[in-house]
Amino acid sequence: MAGAEETKTNDSLIGKRIPKMDAPEKASGKTRYVHDINLPGQLHAKILRSSQVHAKIVSIDTSAARALPGVHAVITGADVPWQRPIGVAKDHLPLKTDRVRSPRDEIAAVAAESEEIAAAALKLIKVVYEPLPIVATAEESLKPGATLVHGDDLIVPGPDGKPQVVHKGSKDNVAMTFDYGQGDIAKGEADSDTVVEDVFWLHYVTHCCMGVSGVLAEFDAQENLLLYSNTQVPFLHKREFAELMGMDPGRIRIIQPPIGGGFGSKLDIYPFEPIAIYLAKITRRPIKLVFTREEEFAASPTRQPVLLKMRSGCNKDGKLTFRDVETVHDNGAYTSWGATTPFVMMQTISSLYRVPNCRYRTRAIYTNNPYAGSFRGYGNLQATFAVEAHMDKLAEAIGKDPLEFRLDNAQEPGEVTPQGMHFKSCGFKDCLKTAAEHSDYQEKFRTSISKWNNGNPIKRGVGMASMLHVGGGAKIYPSDGCGTIIKIDDFAHVTLITGASEIGQGSETVLAQLACEELGLPLSAVTVVNSDTDIKPWDVGVHASRTTFIAGNSAIGAARKAKTKILAAAAAKFNVEPDTLNLRAGCVIEKASGKKLIEIDKLIRSLHFSDKAELVMTTHYYEPPSQKQDKEFRGDVSAAYAWATQVVEIEVDTDTGIVKVLKVTGAHDVGRVINRLGIEGQIEGGVVMGQGYALTENLIVENGIVRNPNFRDYKLVTAPEIPEIDISFIETMDGEGPQGAKGVGEAPAICVAAAVANAIYNATGVRITALPFTPENVYRALRSNSQPPTWIAAA
Amino acid sequence: MSVSIDISFKLNGVNVRAKVTPGMSALEMLRDELQLTGTKYGCGEGECGACTITVDGQSLTSCLLFAADCDGREIITIEGLATDARAEALKKSFVNCGAVQCGFCTPGIVVQAWHMLGKTQHPTPDQIRRGIEGNLCRCTGYKKIVEAIADAGALLS
Amino acid sequence: MDAKVTTTERPPAAPVSDITAVETYVAPRSLAEALELLRAGDVTILAGGTDLMPQSKTGKARFQRVLMNIQRMDELRGITEEKNFVRFGALTTITELLDSAMVKSRFRALWESADHFASDQLRNAATIGGNICNASPAGDTLVPLLVFNARVMLASKKDAAVATRTLPLAEFFVGPGRTHRQPSELLTAVEVPLPPNGFVSEYFKFGTRPALDISTIAIGLGAVRSGDRLTDVRVAFGALAPTPIRAPKTEAALNGKPLVDAIEAALAAAELEINPISDIRASAWYRRELVHNVLRRMLDRVGKY
Repeated sequence: MAGAEETKTNDSLIGKRIPKMDAPEKASGKTRYVHDINLPGQLHAKILRSSQVHAKIVSIDTSAARALPGVHAVITGADVPWQRPIGVAKDHLPLKTDRVRSPRDEIAAVAAESEEIAAAALKLIKVVYEPLPIVATAEESLKPGATLVHGDDLIVPGPDGKPQVVHKGSKDNVAMTFDYGQGDIAKGEADSDTVVEDVFWLHYVTHCCMGVSGVLAEFDAQENLLLYSNTQVPFLHKREFAELMGMDPGRIRIIQPPIGGGFGSKLDIYPFEPIAIYLAKITRRPIKLVFTREEEFAASPTRQPVLLKMRSGCNKDGKLTFRDVETVHDNGAYTSWGATTPFVMMQTISSLYRVPNCRYRTRAIYTNNPYAGSFRGYGNLQATFAVEAHMDKLAEAIGKDPLEFRLDNAQEPGEVTPQGMHFKSCGFKDCLKTAAEHSDYQEKFRTSISKWNNGNPIKRGVGMASMLHVGGGAKIYPSDGCGTIIKIDDFAHVTLITGASEIGQGSETVLAQLACEELGLPLSAVTVVNSDTDIKPWDVGVHASRTTFIAGNSAIGAARKAKTKILAAAAAKFNVEPDTLNLRAGCVIEKASGKKLIEIDKLIRSLHFSDKAELVMTTHYYEPPSQKQDKEFRGDVSAAYAWATQVVEIEVDTDTGIVKVLKVTGAHDVGRVINRLGIEGQIEGGVVMGQGYALTENLIVENGIVRNPNFRDYKLVTAPEIPEIDISFIETMDGEGPQGAKGVGEAPAICVAAAVANAIYNATGVRITALPFTPENVYRALRSNSQPPTWIAAA
Repeated sequence: MSVSIDISFKLNGVNVRAKVTPGMSALEMLRDELQLTGTKYGCGEGECGACTITVDGQSLTSCLLFAADCDGREIITIEGLATDARAEALKKSFVNCGAVQCGFCTPGIVVQAWHMLGKTQHPTPDQIRRGIEGNLCRCTGYKKIVEAIADAGALLS
Repeated sequence: MDAKVTTTERPPAAPVSDITAVETYVAPRSLAEALELLRAGDVTILAGGTDLMPQSKTGKARFQRVLMNIQRMDELRGITEEKNFVRFGALTTITELLDSAMVKSRFRALWESADHFASDQLRNAATIGGNICNASPAGDTLVPLLVFNARVMLASKKDAAVATRTLPLAEFFVGPGRTHRQPSELLTAVEVPLPPNGFVSEYFKFGTRPALDISTIAIGLGAVRSGDRLTDVRVAFGALAPTPIRAPKTEAALNGKPLVDAIEAALAAAELEINPISDIRASAWYRRELVHNVLRRMLDRVGKY
């Protein structure tokens, strides 16, 4: 049966199917998300967003809005002259003052007694704009003489009242650049017997968390700030909010209610949170601000769209020789994490399969489009799409079997890449072989090609793609660590206080399993506390698939210290050496014989109510043995790396262009399975997210405006569309990972689209290098009625 | 200034009264006027199913139902399924089959599945997938949700 | 550069027509009561709400002073089988259509449109009357109803008596969202003549999902098969013109002619009878390609029944 297994006594919890600890509450509808929290005396806030894509703000008249009964405050940038810039590049203020660069731009905000009144007040605010030319594409943005999106300095009144430049204007529209190289590109080309080149277009999609964005903000009588926030990085944001508000960070407390989905959408500070804080300060009342779904579509970060040009080659023996990649990232109106996806993309370009020579270059270009944040996979979907397309193309060009070609270039344990990534545990080849075997890949690959011209409009095909991603954290911040505090009370009940946040992925349950494994206690003995920055120790946050690895090791460290203390006390009591004892099934036992000496809770009580008068309280901060990258992007940035291979089987109806995903067969190197139920759920969910990215999801942006800000026209995958999913776990038992485990949160979404692209080629003989594979896009490509993406000459 | 309408109806087995405005949806009434937050706002346009309730024995999206139209009707929300045997089996299956991740879509799916199992005792996986086609989930990929509903169906017979 | 100045102010003189315009909410229990209210004027009709509520929230709907909920009127419910036709009360829900064995066997294309309609939750609330009066060019049940020569029953009160009139559905639509229903009229039922013996029908709605899609294109096809040819051919298109339409030229190309030879002529005729637009769902070109490829497939298939 696919359900949970009760493990009461001697069995290890590792690898078992353990239901999530918060599932019963969630299934009953009792869980209170941020939308469900109401504070006494709260006011409801709403934001007025720009009606223009690009314009100067000439004037804002809020008088009629202020006069509406039930309105407590209406603020514009002028009312908060002390506001400071936010975002990865600090290139925008929460409330725009002189200029709007995107329809999501926040012009004013209202706090009122009800949402209805707040919405009515917004309609009474009169804004006069002077339109500016719209920079609708990166291509336009790069043309000589193009309108500058951030040509002017961003100026705020300084602490002394004098104007202060907080972001310098630029003379062009280039927001950020990245350049990386390994080996010698010219030599790589010269060594090649085959070279292929393509331009790929990876489109706009968005997170579509089922819970929309929201926040509650309240100042107490001593001006301490309390935030109920969905942030995935509470400690980083605590510090940033402190800077923004000119406050001591110690006076800011963030409580993280259960979140209705994260996927990376909550890793940057977006204007609505500071705006809620401003309103809380000004009205002296708690402020609740919740998005509508339309707002969620139009004003949330997207996945980074990428125009990518790649040349790659191999020699006639089937060894990769070089990859040369250039990308243009549409940076949108302001800079968020999307601009930094090159950090991850260059890892894949340089190190997914062994490539001696590699060059990677990104230009992130300001436009008036929506801006991109971090989103599960963080650039890796886009990079893998290109790499795996070329793996198939190169194999075909030299007449090699696509699986054999991949195996010949796949890395093995112990390899160190030119970028300095040390692949200590590496199950890449096992992933390739397992996925191929379970899906009948080679046989189906050959059969599909033989049917290209059989006259049947329905075609089937298989496509393979692999991925490489960090699996042991990612040291992009001065620390990549996590702290844990454990206390075990007189009844052997464990309180595990972890810095790691639960965002629905099941981290609480995994941490409890790991602690219980050390302490020999049942899962029911554990309470996990993880949602209050006043209580929990520091953790950098939920990103980079790091939580099981880092927080897991932290929890194990604290649990082992507790175990040591308990065994020491038992050893003293029974006059034996501690290393002859162990903890199991709630008791202290003799290792050799298994004989039970004393129940853990009894032992703890005897320690507490004695001359010793000691409690069992331990702490551990785990910092992974990884390195920050240097200025050339070199360094072993993660303590472990993870691989996966997926084979996707599809059916294409060439009369309509409809592509159906029939089956996804995956093999994932996860180090070790901790919670089998949880990891399956992560992978199944990631696969379907990847399916949406490949086939159905498309955020249509035209002239800076999102044309489909709703679920009617932005298509998430629904239940009847899901494929058969068959996952194998490759357990490479990573030496550093908790119980051998590595991170897996992002992996399953990363290579689906790449595999689908290869499958479409296998089915039809047509290679499509632009996403999404909607029916019309596929149909056009099949009928040669579309152009492949073109590179921007000015880039 | 919106006109106020007095309505009375049965909510989770209890007779209740409410004051609503013409434009208010049943979802807004449940969450804001009656403080029942188990039913979720997901999209407000009937596309995601997070707001699913049953009205006179039919499941529907409460965001599209005019609150005034609840007058004289029998409404069941996720809170009303706290002690129902069929719902208990469903919730247990959801927990044991790993069908809950962030949990935001879960109450809506539980109500829809409860309604479905009331109509069809042993739905096939295909029937289940069609039955929840109006419920969006971003976390699970639906596979374990379908398994949980099938599991509950089997347990109940 | 000359400054171009624009404002976002609304013209203050425009009358308020969003939901706040509603001053009275009524839920009549009898047709007579409802028609009285309609005669007095200024009424917005509420049935299942699945179109009216989203339109209200987006400000697309114009509300009158009186919001009249017709769902308490039992006279508008029920599916009745008469000798030559079936009457569907205006409040028949899409789920009731889907659950009806009679509809599945006698009006197959109508049943298929119900199966492709939105989602279970929406099918439980949406009504056939609402689907017709909302008059979307992409309305799911409208295409098969046209195939079956449906007619709508409209009731009103001129003086003391209730007046009724019948209109073929094909003549009911004026444009997107607009019908010939007068403000004082209520659509009470839709009557669908029983098709002739041997009539087969099929409904195709383009989409990647079984349901929960607004049609990109929809095709309804019905005919009697006599040997190698089709007679009594009905072809209807949805989302391919400002209203759902029948396609008389396409029908003529097929009627009574050996099917195998008639298919190309039918496809050519269909090309001329549709008038697709390009929107965010699809381009006009692609819609034409779909009609061509799908109609061909449907005709191939109907020949093989």
